[in-house]
Amino acid sequence: MPLTKKSFQPLGDCVWELPQSARADMQVAVRVYADDKLLQDALRDKSFEQAMNVAALPGLVGPVVVMPDVHQGYGMPIGGVMAASVPDGIISPGAVGYDINCGVRLLAAHVSHAEIRHRIGDLATALFRNCPSGVGSEGVVRLGSDDLEDVLTGGARWALARGYATASDLARTEANGTIPGADASHTSARAIQRGRHQVGTLGAGNHFIEVDEVDTVFDPTAAQVLGLFPGQVVIQIHCGSRGFGHQVCTDYVSSFQATVRKYGIRLADRELVCAPFDSPEGRAYLAAMACAANFAFANRQVLAHFVRQSFAEVLAKEIGDATLHQVYDIAHNMAKIEEHEVAGQRRTLCVHRKGATRAFGPGAPGLADDLRSIGQPVLIPGSMGTASWVLLGTEDSMQQTFASTCHGAGRVMSRSHAKREIRGEKLREELKAQGVTVRAGSMPGLAEEAPRAYKDVDRVIEVVARAGIARKVARLRPIAVIKG
Amino acid sequence: MNEAPFEEIEHTADWAIRVRGRDLRALFEAAARGMFSLLVDLAQVAPERTLELDLRAIDAETLLVDWLNELLYLSEDKGIAFSEFDITSIDTSMTAPGLAESRLQATVVGGRVHELRRTIKAATFNAIAIRRLDSGCEAEIVFDV
Repeated sequence: MPLTKKSFQPLGDCVWELPQSARADMQVAVRVYADDKLLQDALRDKSFEQAMNVAALPGLVGPVVVMPDVHQGYGMPIGGVMAASVPDGIISPGAVGYDINCGVRLLAAHVSHAEIRHRIGDLATALFRNCPSGVGSEGVVRLGSDDLEDVLTGGARWALARGYATASDLARTEANGTIPGADASHTSARAIQRGRHQVGTLGAGNHFIEVDEVDTVFDPTAAQVLGLFPGQVVIQIHCGSRGFGHQVCTDYVSSFQATVRKYGIRLADRELVCAPFDSPEGRAYLAAMACAANFAFANRQVLAHFVRQSFAEVLAKEIGDATLHQVYDIAHNMAKIEEHEVAGQRRTLCVHRKGATRAFGPGAPGLADDLRSIGQPVLIPGSMGTASWVLLGTEDSMQQTFASTCHGAGRVMSRSHAKREIRGEKLREELKAQGVTVRAGSMPGLAEEAPRAYKDVDRVIEVVARAGIARKVARLRPIAVIKG
Repeated sequence: MNEAPFEEIEHTADWAIRVRGRDLRALFEAAARGMFSLLVDLAQVAPERTLELDLRAIDAETLLVDWLNELLYLSEDKGIAFSEFDITSIDTSMTAPGLAESRLQATVVGGRVHELRRTIKAATFNAIAIRRLDSGCEAEIVFDV
């Protein structure tokens, strides 16, 4: 029987549950964060079918969580969270996806948009020139295989040693920019080959650098801790582990097709291949995934260095302070080993987030001292030309969603539909009329990422705020977009 | 041999194609043509390089996805796109214990292109199934982009 709104039981404001009984193979329920409209939007594609496939995996703890920006992906829906028991559950490369540790970094200037409005075009041009982007882009950071191994084990720590980072950058990065347990011997020669020339590159697709203005501050105390003020210029970097991460996922999703046979694991979708967490295969993937995660932290850190250089190049002579401080850096495709309270018991879990963001509340371990009182910053990029948000994790996100919240606006229109309906050149003119400068390598690529192809990000944010799984700090308005 | 049809199908976030062939050989060739047609105008690809491939996998579906991912890797590694695909042999009935059960050998031809339209991160196993039809076989493939 097809799913309808009636299939979902309301649990509270913007919270719904699809019970375990909805499909015979489900081992846990699916919990959905959405208002009426976003729930209806998600019913139009295969988001919930994919969430139910995830709920049929063995070894899960608690519900599969679906965020308001959910849309159909492959295997796990984008905007999905699943938590597997450690050590007796599973780990799934397909549930993390190909762009391991795709994430967002936010840098903040110490100047207002009004002061540098006349230089935004030059800044956009400098960013486009200095931050390698586009299909198959290669960076200026050339690495030997030993150097790359340092990147894979060290992540942002490697970048610090090489002068691409500051200590305070690392303190303002999820997991301090280094995932422990990385072991390059569990990655393929192909992954190494692909990664060697891609540190410090943006890539293509939905990845971007965006210059924004802080449009509204909702929580002045938290904004002060994060160094944000109204009118301020801030810069987002959205990208991940490039070809290295793609290859790690490709290798393990392929080899795990045999692994699930070996362990007798039944799947509703072969993309959701997994291995017992405490198995040679599971440990190998975890070590390889950590390498890709560290690659991505290093990649965003080097890009941040190029962004800082570009900012200073254009503005150092005009403004007193042309530095950029890091607000935070978060991942939204990753499996993390974390402790959570489930039914009154502390449990060690492998929390898989696919298009979902970690959202630790105040007091959570691992947060820098200055963040402990407010909680972990959560960065939500909107669609191109629309708002982005800075949020904070909450007590409720810790209790309800394995400390997770949404990650973006979420698509509603297919890329082929967007490509048919929207011309990149026309979109660039429309954005210009809205005061958004665009530097893009590909006009068809720009069209695929048009704002109309996405949900209303403000609506998504209202849902997570009403449900209590994040709270608002600031809203950002775009002023320049740089894309491959 | 490269005439088997493929068509784009709607997918909210990524790209997906439906491919058909009168047999597995034609299906695999159509899948490769379909994938590269998302990346480039195939008519613009100069036939500059010929590569031989020999792949093994545990079953036909894994072989199909591995074949596509092999081509994506080679495309990025060599900085070329492929436009001609000739599966010279394909056997999905091998049952030797301890060995891969499926194998293909292929010759592919490609060359440099001015610009790739987009990046495909990978061909996925999402809902992958090769369906046997009266007229041949069919599969739907979702690509992460």
